[in-house]
Amino acid sequence: MSRRLAPADARQALADALSAEYAAIYAYGPIGVQLSDAERRAARSAEAAHRARRDALVLQLSGDGGQLPADRAGYALPFPVTDRAGALRLAVEIEERTGAFWRAALPVTSGAERTRALNALTDCAVRATRWRRAARVTPVTVAFPGRPR
Amino acid sequence: MLRAGALLAVGGSTGPLAGCDLFDGDEPAPPPDPLESLADESRELAARHRAAIAADPSLADWLAPIAEAHAAHATEIRRLIGRPEPSGATPTGTTPTATPGDRAALLAALREAEQRGRQSAAKACVAAPGERAALLGSVAAARATHVEALA
Repeated sequence: MSRRLAPADARQALADALSAEYAAIYAYGPIGVQLSDAERRAARSAEAAHRARRDALVLQLSGDGGQLPADRAGYALPFPVTDRAGALRLAVEIEERTGAFWRAALPVTSGAERTRALNALTDCAVRATRWRRAARVTPVTVAFPGRPR
Repeated sequence: MLRAGALLAVGGSTGPLAGCDLFDGDEPAPPPDPLESLADESRELAARHRAAIAADPSLADWLAPIAEAHAAHATEIRRLIGRPEPSGATPTGTTPTATPGDRAALLAALREAEQRGRQSAAKACVAAPGERAALLGSVAAARATHVEALA
């Protein structure tokens, strides 16, 4: 997972966001396995939201006729997920990380494109808050969602 | 600058006099930065949360981090526009107060304020030049997470 947080232009920023969305979709597989009932449903709906962003990005970026970053068969997780606590921790991290890529798209986009990036950043931040609450992490919010720490 | 700021901060307390002042004044005020009102809004949101804590101290653990986030937003926005925070009075000239007793009503009012704040920050983010967009995006997203955290 390349971590380029100062993309040169909108295309680069959105390609980076697409790679982050691929990785998020992948991560929700091992996350969901460790959760039950309501949390698993929340994980499914989060994954569906990331798939929707991915599809929109693929459509948009291939319309420009350029090269698309490729999805991979697997992504290295930052730590092995073996229980519910680890799954919730990874879910928080995935949302924070994906949000950071969308935030990086804000300075190099404008108009409707920037609105879409902002909506994506906001959705990631809200989901991270929900996962922190599920994990009983306090506070459940951060002051500057998406800002590199 | 103070006069223009007061005019911008849409409080009921400013009234038409501030407008007269602005047009009759002999010292031309520098044009207000469009983000000054957003910084003021952050300060006002921080004050609202602090007032809720004063009304119901059992909310402190929950609301204090949110109040701190708003204060940090105000500082960062002012740093971005190169205008330091005016010391002293709250920007709208009114200090928010909260009535003790009805916890649910306190929280509902805060949620509503955060929701409005989210919309104004999102608008500012989309309208801003690129170099301002990332900070404003974080402010808008943070306010959205506050709505969630208060649910």
